[in-house]
Amino acid sequence: MKVILYDLDRTYDELIETRCDRALAADGKYTPCQGCFGCWTKHPAECKMKDTLQQVCRVIGQANELVIVTKNLYGGYSADIKNVLDRSIGTSTPFSTYRGRQMHHTLRYGRHDLWKVIVYGEITEAEKETFRLLAQRNAVNDGFARSEVLFLEDLRALEGAL
Amino acid sequence: MKTVFINCSPKKSFCASAYFLFLQRLFVGGQKVMEKLRTPADYDRILKELSDAQAVVFGIPLYVDSIPSHVLRFLEKMEAYCREKDLHFSVYCIANNGFIEGKQNEPLMQGFEHFCARAGLAWGGGVGIGGGVMLNVTRILFLVDVGLLVLNTLLSVVNTGDLFPKNAWISFGENAALLLYFNLGVLVYLARMGGSIRKGTFTGKRYTRILIPSFVFILFADIFFIIISLFEGGLFRGWLSKKAPTEAGRI
Repeated sequence: MKVILYDLDRTYDELIETRCDRALAADGKYTPCQGCFGCWTKHPAECKMKDTLQQVCRVIGQANELVIVTKNLYGGYSADIKNVLDRSIGTSTPFSTYRGRQMHHTLRYGRHDLWKVIVYGEITEAEKETFRLLAQRNAVNDGFARSEVLFLEDLRALEGAL
Repeated sequence: MKTVFINCSPKKSFCASAYFLFLQRLFVGGQKVMEKLRTPADYDRILKELSDAQAVVFGIPLYVDSIPSHVLRFLEKMEAYCREKDLHFSVYCIANNGFIEGKQNEPLMQGFEHFCARAGLAWGGGVGIGGGVMLNVTRILFLVDVGLLVLNTLLSVVNTGDLFPKNAWISFGENAALLLYFNLGVLVYLARMGGSIRKGTFTGKRYTRILIPSFVFILFADIFFIIISLFEGGLFRGWLSKKAPTEAGRI
């Protein structure tokens, strides 16, 4: 399953929806993660906060290919995108293991293929390096076989990048 | 000299970030202001404190390999505020994560460095800590250790009149030394960073962890989550199962 998570305005909805099996619009109309671990220990794979992200980990967990379209913010995801990712740690279980020679959580939904990030907005070379590192770390953490980062100077190139 | 310490944990109490900021304050002199960043309601109060600060220390948990979203939203406001007020204080960061490797905080540290560059602030560096949750628990274990010493002393006074029971003090000393050892890497690096904060200089990026073998750490972490899941009931609600979404439509 291909999932696209994006923070673009609604004029891009149609384009995005034709390019994936499931579109997740990060519109910021939800609350941040409270760090309670309840999605592991109390109500597995479900957040205690009853908003649009309550079961988002179940969608992302089933993605074989996850594409994230995000504005650059300090060499990382925009706050709206990061909010969704923070609320999706139920894709893993509370058990720990070694992956990529470091400690990580075991995967609730098994291994995935591609963690792809499409970055738009003004960005420095140093921030690009951080973004590549971050995507690589995310891929290992969430059990994706590979990561890819594209930087768009113009959003008109988005259609070809999806 | 005024230093503002910002606890960025969204938890209301007993968070690892508060523990590490407490330790950091021991190594910093001058005026020390503690702030808590949980919601947008905290923004104005914190920003006001920054106008005459010489240094700001963020205590922050690692979320999905980088800066938590509620902190990103604040940093965007802080960037605009610092530019508008032409502020140029030094920014330091104490990042902690639940995994044992402190190095996993690297993307977060780089994010703070880029934030400082865009806000016109001086990046002072930071300390990345692995095993933050477990280190936070050591402070509770220390209090339990103190409680046992007091209890044994009281029993000794009642039974024998001895105010300094030797065995109780030896046991307390051994336990306290072990807890101190677990925290040793953190204490050394926070002490070094304290010197840099006082001088307003760059401290570099340092990574440390709770000083126990990682396989032991993983074993304790697994036991911890089994016990918590047992009490909270998750163990009986499809604890490890691949649950499908029950809600239709897009988010």
